[in-house]
Amino acid sequence: MLLELDNVSLAYGRIQALHGISLNVAQGEIVALIGANGAGKSTTMRAISGLRPVSEGSIRFDGQDISKLRADLRVVRGVSQSPEGRGIFPGMSVRENLEMGAYTRKNRAEISEDLERVFTLFPRMKEREKQSGGTLSGGEQQMLAVGRALMSRPKLLLLDEPSMGLAPMLIQQIFDIIVEINEQGTTVLLVEQNAQQALSRAHRAYVLETGRIVKEGTGAELLHDPAVKDAYLGVA
Amino acid sequence: MSDTAVAPSKEKTSFRGNGGVRGWFGRQPTWVRAIVTVVALVLAILLPYAGDVPLIGPQIVTQGIDWPSSLFNMSYYVLLALGLNVVVGYAGLLDLGYVGFFAIGAYGTALLTSRDSLLYAHSGWSWLAAAPVALAITMAAGLILGWPTLRLRGDYLAIVTLGFAEIIRIVATSTPNFLRGDRGFTNIPHPPGQGSDGKPIFGVTDATPYFWLGLGVIVVVILGVRNLDRSRVGRSWLAIREDEEAAEIMGVRTTRFKLWAFAIGAFIGGLGGVLFAGEQGFINSQTFVLQFSILVLAGVVMGGSGNMAGAILGGALISYIPDRLRGISDPFFHTDLYEYRFAIFGVVIIVIMVLRPQGLIPSRRRAMELKDREKEVAPQ
Repeated sequence: MLLELDNVSLAYGRIQALHGISLNVAQGEIVALIGANGAGKSTTMRAISGLRPVSEGSIRFDGQDISKLRADLRVVRGVSQSPEGRGIFPGMSVRENLEMGAYTRKNRAEISEDLERVFTLFPRMKEREKQSGGTLSGGEQQMLAVGRALMSRPKLLLLDEPSMGLAPMLIQQIFDIIVEINEQGTTVLLVEQNAQQALSRAHRAYVLETGRIVKEGTGAELLHDPAVKDAYLGVA
Repeated sequence: MSDTAVAPSKEKTSFRGNGGVRGWFGRQPTWVRAIVTVVALVLAILLPYAGDVPLIGPQIVTQGIDWPSSLFNMSYYVLLALGLNVVVGYAGLLDLGYVGFFAIGAYGTALLTSRDSLLYAHSGWSWLAAAPVALAITMAAGLILGWPTLRLRGDYLAIVTLGFAEIIRIVATSTPNFLRGDRGFTNIPHPPGQGSDGKPIFGVTDATPYFWLGLGVIVVVILGVRNLDRSRVGRSWLAIREDEEAAEIMGVRTTRFKLWAFAIGAFIGGLGGVLFAGEQGFINSQTFVLQFSILVLAGVVMGGSGNMAGAILGGALISYIPDRLRGISDPFFHTDLYEYRFAIFGVVIIVIMVLRPQGLIPSRRRAMELKDREKEVAPQ
């Protein structure tokens, strides 16, 4: 397993956000985490990337326990996140944003290789290369955030709501790209409110409710699960 | 660290594209920029003789205060503005207690050199010997303040830093033997050096040499900060300022770079204090009031936070405007306008903030960030 969460709990002050979550992601998979607002999806992401310390349980990555590791060192190990709400650097140009994604790396040749790869995945980013991040549209910022996360050449890509606030056309497009990234060899864990898209693209998925995992299965299984349909897919 | 790949790319076209003196300056070839810089430096060196220039000269120089002294005041205010600009402008950490570092620099010098100091028997050093030690103490103080505040942001950080400066002032007022409160320290030695006539260069009658000393220090600080800003350190500060969480998941070790910002800011503030103590020869707790911090912050914001040219201009103005008002009486009550300095000052700042909220010489990135925050507050 590339990533294993074992009984992870996390609290914001007195508010318990995660109650003993266990999940795993195998090398080469796309795994989706779906659930309603406040279910703890983003918190799970933050626990994995190291933005919040876990209060209990362990996170193992690539066979090693990273639960106590500093966030910046997790990036070095190969965990990369595209944060919720995009979190791009508004005053930096598109190129500078992407370079920021390669912050922990030193090999210039490899970095420009990856820059080209991002520009191939997102031709729009090439066009906007010198524009500052803050001037981009919502969809473009999302692409930039995903592209930037790829710039660390991660083993595991964490995507927090990649489709948030995007037009249906763009949602399709961004998921196409996620699948493409995955086919090129990057393991993906993504958090989504758009359960339809997430489940139809993911190999496996977990359903999160109030800080607990209530269901897991392959994307197809969950897509046809009556309870999931009822709660998250908006069809009777 | 310079071998890493995130050295800032050349962004000539995107950020210096248009508008204003800054835009013009950015578009010029290197040699034009070099000439402009040298000319500006020469003019700065000649500032003590500004009064001799016909017509404009008398308008520029101050009346109620000796012009070279006023220039020296400007020089340490500019230093403070440059230092605070690193903390607030680059790293985005709102520090309301910056005077604390100025105070530590000055007290450090006084403790090691003044005859009034408890330590005098052991130290009794020269100004030059005391300066590096005082600066080391100030930097350590920067780290001490930085460490517990690393997890704080925005308003919370501001309050803690405010408290920090107050603690130093209160300790100074309430330790009659150690930091000597109102009585303060006398006989702090001046910087060393003798002229060809055998008189000390840094005397008590003429502040011009002190201004030049201050100017020299400013130039060194500018070069140092500029190098930092263009390095990986500067890029890390920028990322932290724009989005701390995003910076962290890019692999920026945010705690370390925030501490760096505090330490470097403290160092520069301490430099101001060391110079100040060396020129005045006397300091007491009255010097280091909270207003001072607020004033310097106002200077940085007014000049253009995040931009060194802006910080320099802002720092110079906050010192120059009140000094220029000295010795001029208003036509109605015949009071010295200096008494109204804070009122006048307030009006000037309000006008500038209404007309140019991004500061007189803004940082282009900062302008973009402000726009972005507005979007967050009121999404379209």
